[in-house]
Amino acid sequence: MGEVIVITSGKGGVGKTTTTANIGIGLSQMEKKVIVIDTDLGLRNLDVVMGLENRIIYNLVDVIEGSCRLKQALIKDKRFPELYLLPSAQTKDKTAVSPEQMRKLIADLKDEFDYILLDCPAGIEQGFENAVAGADRAIVVTTPEVSAIRDADRIIGLLESHGIKRNDLIINRLRVDMVKRGDMMSVEDVTEILAINLLGVIPDDEQVVIATNQGEPIVGAGCMSGQAYLNVCRRILGDDIPITDFSKPEGFFAKVSSLFKKN
Amino acid sequence: MSVPSVHVAKERLRTLLMADRMQCTPETAEKFSSDIYHTVSKYLEVKPEDFNIKITRSDIHIKITGENY
Repeated sequence: MGEVIVITSGKGGVGKTTTTANIGIGLSQMEKKVIVIDTDLGLRNLDVVMGLENRIIYNLVDVIEGSCRLKQALIKDKRFPELYLLPSAQTKDKTAVSPEQMRKLIADLKDEFDYILLDCPAGIEQGFENAVAGADRAIVVTTPEVSAIRDADRIIGLLESHGIKRNDLIINRLRVDMVKRGDMMSVEDVTEILAINLLGVIPDDEQVVIATNQGEPIVGAGCMSGQAYLNVCRRILGDDIPITDFSKPEGFFAKVSSLFKKN
Repeated sequence: MSVPSVHVAKERLRTLLMADRMQCTPETAEKFSSDIYHTVSKYLEVKPEDFNIKITRSDIHIKITGENY
């Protein structure tokens, strides 16, 4: 039975889609069979981040409405062993799908995939309801900003009230130089406020922008953010990997090289 | 040197989250805190600076520090 993880945040623009894409790619490289689903109806972009936008024929709404079979809508990402994308519809809106229909779709996928990742739209309306409907657990993405943390807190409350109790946090776009001079909240500040398990910290890294421009993955690349996403994937698989302390850059590189030695 | 902006951010978040979690205005949340303090101080000798109230998503924690505790 596959595990269903919704990637959510409340606030837009904090990195949900990039996170979904890179966790999906990372898990598939670790020999898991993965499907990533874009649940943002009307504003699809998971396909673009993954570089698969030219391969879309059918979408999530076509499957739900029965205009095509599920298998026809799944796009296989040929660069990776077992990674599939179910794209969203660009011309429909959030009312085209109900939470009940999402639950049924996910139940059908659970037998076939090890991980089902749902990229949730921003906001707390029906798009959110659809995305969380079939989820077993959630990854809440935030950045170290007042507005993003406030929304993350609200989302965690909503997830709990939807019966989703296993909620993990990813802090995205951390800038160590700003934390050091007291102009950005630290990892400890954020985790103390939100009080959920920390799954990973992704440093702010221009390589993410470059990779997204090209529709290429960042996970597993030699840069800091690529390594951080790889560690997130390993933690999802249950490996006990300490959170990298980015305030000690020497320590970081020592850790990276020790990881490579192990393999 | 000016105050690091992170202090301002944390203080604003503290007020915001307290209000969000109680589903009320920040003013009401602050009044709630001060009312709880006044109630507690009727029974226990505690200075305002030793009294700390924290509202999480599911609990309300009251912590009293200082030499008597």
